[in-house]
Amino acid sequence: MKLIYEKSVKGRIGFSIPEDSFDEISVDIPEYAKPHKEYDLPEVSEPDVVRHFTKLSKLNYGVDDGLYPLGSCTMKYNPKINEKLANLDNFLYAHPFAPERYVQGSLQIMFELGELLNEITGMDKFSMMPAAGAHGELTGVLMIRKYFESKGKPRHKMIIPDSAHGTNPASSAMAGFRVVEVKSNERGGVDISELEKIMDEDTAGLMLTNPNTVGLFDENILKIADIVHSKGGLLYYDGANLNALLGIVRPGDAGFDVLHLNLHKTFSTPHGGGGPGAGVVGAKKELIEFLPSPIVCKNEKGYFFEFPKNSIGRVRAFYGNFSVLVKAYAWILSMGPQGLREAAETSIINANYVLAKLKDYYKPAYDRTCMHECVLTGKEYKKYGVKTLDISKRLMDYGFHPPTIYFPHFEPYAEETIMIEPPESESKETLDSFIKAMIKISKEARTKPELLKEAPHSTPVGRLDEVKAVKNPKLHY
Amino acid sequence: MRYIPTTEKQKEEMLKEIGVSSFTDLLKDIPDSVLLKTDLNIPGPINEQKLTERIYDISKKNADFFSIKPLVGAGAYRHFIPEVVKTITAREEFYTSYTPYQPEISQGNLQSMFEYQTHIAKLTGMNVVVPSIYDGASATAEAVLMAMRLSKKNKILVSSLLHPHYLETVRTYTEPHKTEIITIPYKNILTNIENFEKNLTDDVAAFIIQSPNFLGGIENVSEFARIAHQKNILVIQVIAESLSSGILKSPGEADVDIVAGEAQSFGMDLNFGGPYNGYLASKMKYIRQIPGRIAGETTDKNGNRGFVMTFRAREQDIRREKATSNICSNHALNIVAGNVYLSLLGKRGLKSLADLNFKSAHYLRKKLLDTKAFSGPDYPFFNEFILKSDKKEETIDLLMKNGFVPPLDLSKFYPELEGYLLFAVTEIFTKKDLDFIAGLFSR
Repeated sequence: MKLIYEKSVKGRIGFSIPEDSFDEISVDIPEYAKPHKEYDLPEVSEPDVVRHFTKLSKLNYGVDDGLYPLGSCTMKYNPKINEKLANLDNFLYAHPFAPERYVQGSLQIMFELGELLNEITGMDKFSMMPAAGAHGELTGVLMIRKYFESKGKPRHKMIIPDSAHGTNPASSAMAGFRVVEVKSNERGGVDISELEKIMDEDTAGLMLTNPNTVGLFDENILKIADIVHSKGGLLYYDGANLNALLGIVRPGDAGFDVLHLNLHKTFSTPHGGGGPGAGVVGAKKELIEFLPSPIVCKNEKGYFFEFPKNSIGRVRAFYGNFSVLVKAYAWILSMGPQGLREAAETSIINANYVLAKLKDYYKPAYDRTCMHECVLTGKEYKKYGVKTLDISKRLMDYGFHPPTIYFPHFEPYAEETIMIEPPESESKETLDSFIKAMIKISKEARTKPELLKEAPHSTPVGRLDEVKAVKNPKLHY
Repeated sequence: MRYIPTTEKQKEEMLKEIGVSSFTDLLKDIPDSVLLKTDLNIPGPINEQKLTERIYDISKKNADFFSIKPLVGAGAYRHFIPEVVKTITAREEFYTSYTPYQPEISQGNLQSMFEYQTHIAKLTGMNVVVPSIYDGASATAEAVLMAMRLSKKNKILVSSLLHPHYLETVRTYTEPHKTEIITIPYKNILTNIENFEKNLTDDVAAFIIQSPNFLGGIENVSEFARIAHQKNILVIQVIAESLSSGILKSPGEADVDIVAGEAQSFGMDLNFGGPYNGYLASKMKYIRQIPGRIAGETTDKNGNRGFVMTFRAREQDIRREKATSNICSNHALNIVAGNVYLSLLGKRGLKSLADLNFKSAHYLRKKLLDTKAFSGPDYPFFNEFILKSDKKEETIDLLMKNGFVPPLDLSKFYPELEGYLLFAVTEIFTKKDLDFIAGLFSR
């Protein structure tokens, strides 16, 4: 498809410039700031733009098109009413430097969302500031860092399981920690005896995703918390997989001290092609003073910003991804306590159903009941010359977005992984047709491997050459 | 629950297929002591109609922001947004999709990234563009970390006219890395170049300068870059009001090394401070150290043009603790917004709009000075300027009473600027509006 630049026709414009003239203003920009080179942007009319982007959009696949079973991404339905509510004029046009009494509604949403999340997670106070999950992680580990510094006993290491998302070690490194990896055991959880060995008084804590990325709830969670806490360490909860626990377990009750939640996963706000989401951070009492500044509080006069006394500072400008917060708030109220639990239950049943139906065709990383996602492997098809990548590409021909592949990866359990998360908004009929397609592909892999290796066949473009994109970089028109 | 299709009967069927007799059998890994024994204590469920009324009522507790126009910018600018931006970003294919890890069914997002990278490359004069970092402040902090990796030094010079929130963010991000931050004072509302020269030592990694600066001032970036480069110091230009790119010399032309921008002015609502969209841009030679997702052109097996995410070896999902950053999700949907906005405006539109902002801000400043209620320094500025009012509180009250969000009281950020207000003027104000505002002070 042509680029917008290739549709440019000299003299066209898609914008009406206000007519006011200020000819009496003779001031000019200073000589030193005047450009000598002209830039060109495309010249296109409004209908040109609408057609171009509509056509572009049709090359994309969204949740509204069908199943999007990406593991640890929780691609659930994004309620339409929430889009409208986040776009109410009084929210949309609110300037972040408007006086507090002008923004009581916005502050109320932020405060009340924090209260709801406190109850859902068992934490004591939330910051709405972080923009994404990884941003929340960075915020959380910086708080942990500051916690130890404020005691006059800085700690330098952070323990992270081999099954963790790449953001965990990356965030810890950004916060100045040395990353120490702990292995997964044969049951899919943290290897307790190894954890006992490496946890010491120079270790700030452990970052844990629970259920973890193989879709299993760590059965030793209380022991893990005990090992970390007994050496004075803190337990960080990566909330990427919280969907499985809504109304079932609160991380705050299981020993976690600080956490982030991905509102764009568990709390139904749209992913937007990779964002914006929100990675709000919750703290237990002892850690509230380190939250990013400012936080929203309430007294008899109304809502106001407060500045925690030992705050790590700001992690961005202003206060948070406000419109995302409105959507999460609306979703929680729509679900209520029973709805939240139903979401978790249904997602767990969905994942186990897919696991039960597919485990004879794709060997599970761990053959046990799972939580909200199941991890299968494509190892056995290697002998037919078929890679997991080929399996996932073939799924597109059946009209599905592929699951997450090659992640998690740790030997010897999780190799050639296919990580499937079918959230609660997916019906049994959808799952059945997905299962049918996966079984059909497993047959094709054995009988017509070429079909998979050449897949996809029905998409706007075929398999793309990623090596070429690096070798001959072309990063703009 | 209307968002959950599975019926009770189907659940039973599924549990049977799974081979368990009840749902609780699936929770056996969870220690009983942490299982919740009661319902969560939260309100709801409420139906769609009640939900709408409830949130609508909460929104009413805000001021009627559509009607009251902001005379404040300071990193968040109210510009007019053509409806087409909303029409396109409201398409489900854009807003309900995930990160384009499967390029064959994500060409819409990937091509849009590539087009937007082209727009920003042209406006900044840079060859590498990362189209989305969360916002201008986090992009600035990432630029600083990038410069420290490139130079292997950890002292940085920062103009005191960098947006205070951006500076605080830089401090937070660099704190674990024992970074020494030296702020360069200002003189006549521009960064003090003599003081800058005095602080140029061999151990400096980078110099960060915002232009237009926090007080609207147009800095002589070329001159700073020339001097910095004599000492092999990297120059990072921050652009918080991206509309200024329409008429000012590009960072590339000023020989800047890294640009950290905030593109909120390109089609994003104020939204009480977010989500906006930061970007990073740099010279090609720095590509291995730049963080964040980049789209690149390639071909498919049949030789057709297509786009993929590229230079992925920099990213956290591949490199873990050795990645250039932890960034994963960004503000991708706002890339689409920015792409649509800049495509609609085109060269002529962007230039005219930037020029209109420049002129109308100068018009209001002159009108306000004419009233004698204000005084203030003369300095080159884009669409924001500072003026001093001897009756600051009364001025703010008068503007609020007459239906405006007041200018920013600068004493919060610069105690020495007690009495000074930071005004922003964009195209949302007609000449008549500006005359009315000035008229409030002339009697």
